[in-house]
Parts: sequence; structure tokens; C-alpha cells
Amino acid sequence: VFGISGLALNHVADWNPNYRQTRVASQIEPLVGADRDALVADARAKLSLAEPPLNAFRPDPDTLQLFYEGRTYLIDTPTGSVITEETRPRPVLFQLNQMHINASKGVWTVISDLYALTLIGMALTGLFIVKGRYGLAGRGKWLVGIGALIPLAYWLFSQFPYWP
Amino acid sequence: MRRQVTAAVVVMVGLVAGLAAQEAQGKKYGADLTLTEVTKVSEIYANPEKYSGKRVQVAGPIVDVCEMMGCWLAIGSDQEFQTIRFKVEDGVIVFPMSTKGRNAKVEGVISVETLTEAQQIAQGEEMAREQKTTFDPKTVKGPKVSVMIKGEGAIVF
Repeated sequence: VFGISGLALNHVADWNPNYRQTRVASQIEPLVGADRDALVADARAKLSLAEPPLNAFRPDPDTLQLFYEGRTYLIDTPTGSVITEETRPRPVLFQLNQMHINASKGVWTVISDLYALTLIGMALTGLFIVKGRYGLAGRGKWLVGIGALIPLAYWLFSQFPYWP
Repeated sequence: MRRQVTAAVVVMVGLVAGLAAQEAQGKKYGADLTLTEVTKVSEIYANPEKYSGKRVQVAGPIVDVCEMMGCWLAIGSDQEFQTIRFKVEDGVIVFPMSTKGRNAKVEGVISVETLTEAQQIAQGEEMAREQKTTFDPKTVKGPKVSVMIKGEGAIVF
């Protein structure tokens, strides 16, 4: 859970690790209507939408938004230009990420604390499992040292004001 | 063994039924809502200084959601062409994209801040990057008063 979602969340600036989004452009006739309700009715007719939307909103005088489950229509009312946005959670990865960031809180807080404590316990006791020249007294101390030095070095350098 | 399986199934069914009942009353995010009076978004925008630092409850449609971290909602006002941002601390509350288009009641403290042109451009460019749209810095003309709710709790219906 934490390894896979950790990789995904680490690159959140480059891609959306939770949702797959599509934006499709299309064209209808310009919308006609004196108020929002009339515009919504006209849009539904021109887009052949049988179901009423969950909500409708006008963020500015020329735009109408229709909200459906997992789908939003952004309509430029004077031109009839339509952008259909669809948002779907990425299978498995979405759930893993939600667990990683503890989005649901509640009982998962306790469960993930137990996992974290277990990981800490495994890391600490693991130091002393291997004996001899590959153990902590031998090669192990160098490996532990390198493992600790990398984040420590990054932290020290990041204090320098011109460090990226 | 059969008893344990039966007990596990009963617990699972109970959990699912409980969650379904909770969903029917709206899904709660963050702290409990404590105020009984709903303030109109248009009223807040009309008198930002009056509400600055005050705790308010606002109701309206969720017209946008932070795609990356689920850390803010845009709540549609009672007046057209007007929204207010409900910003929560990253990771404290995470709003899923499935809340977009639903109605919400949110509660938090009003923050009023005057943004310089540079701040508005930086904000607009960040939003455009996040939403994969474009932002024209020429649309920024002088300082602007920004009003938002520092979010503490919400119920989404």
C-alpha cells in the first residue's frame, strides 16, 4: 500500500495519481434562454440528456456548467461550444492512495498506525538479525550509514538558500 | 471456524448498512458543523470586512474540487457568477472528485486578503497548471480582495 502509492504520490506535480480525466470537445447550437433554468432545459434538449443534472451553475455570463455523476458539461452559451469532462478514479491506485494519505480517517488511522509501528519494529530488529561480518558490526554498519547519510545530506544541503 | 466466518459476515453487513445510512444523511468531512444559521455567500462578498475572522456556515453546490489533493472546494453562491473557496489544510480533509456537482454545507472561518497583481498571476498560473487550462495575465488589473473560508468541516449531500 505505502510503497506503490508512495511512488504515485511522489509525482503528483506531473500527473494525477488518483483520477483519470478526459476532456472531449463538441459543438451544439448556441443556447437560448432568459434564465438559468431555461438554459439548462435548452442544453439538455440539444445534448439529448434525458436525466436532469445533479446541479447547474453559471460561473460567468457566457458559461453554463451541468453536473452529472462523474461527468461535467461546460457549455459556452453564445457559441454552443461544449467541453465534456469525465473523471474516473484510477482502479486500485485510487484506493491505495486514499489509504496512504488516510483520507477516510476513523478506524484506518489505528490500522495504519499499527502498520507503521510494525515497519519501525521490523527495521530496528532487522539491524540485529544478521550476525558476523555481514551484520551490524561488519558490512551492516556501512549500509546503515549510507541509508542514514543520504536523507541527512539532502536535509543539510536544502538549508542552503540557493539549493533547489 | 463457521462461527467466526458468520460473525465476520455479520460485522461486514452491519458496517455496510451503517455506512449506507450515513450516506443518506450526507457524508461528513472533518469537524462537526456547530452553527445553526447559514450565511449567504453574496452577503459575505457584500460585507467582507464584517465577516473577516468570523466563523460561518455556507450552503451551496460544489462547482469545483481540487483535483490533486482534494484540499479545496469551490462553493457556488446564491447569486450567479459568484463562488467562494473553501480551503482545508492539506491531508486533514480530503474531498474526492465525486463530490463535484453535489450540494454541501460547509463551516469555517472567513479570511479576507488583498492580493497584489503578482500574487493573482501566480495563483492563476497555478490553477491553470492544475486544471490543464490557460491563464492570461492581462486579465489581472490591480489589487483584488480575496475572500475564502478556512475550512474545518463539511457535509456533502
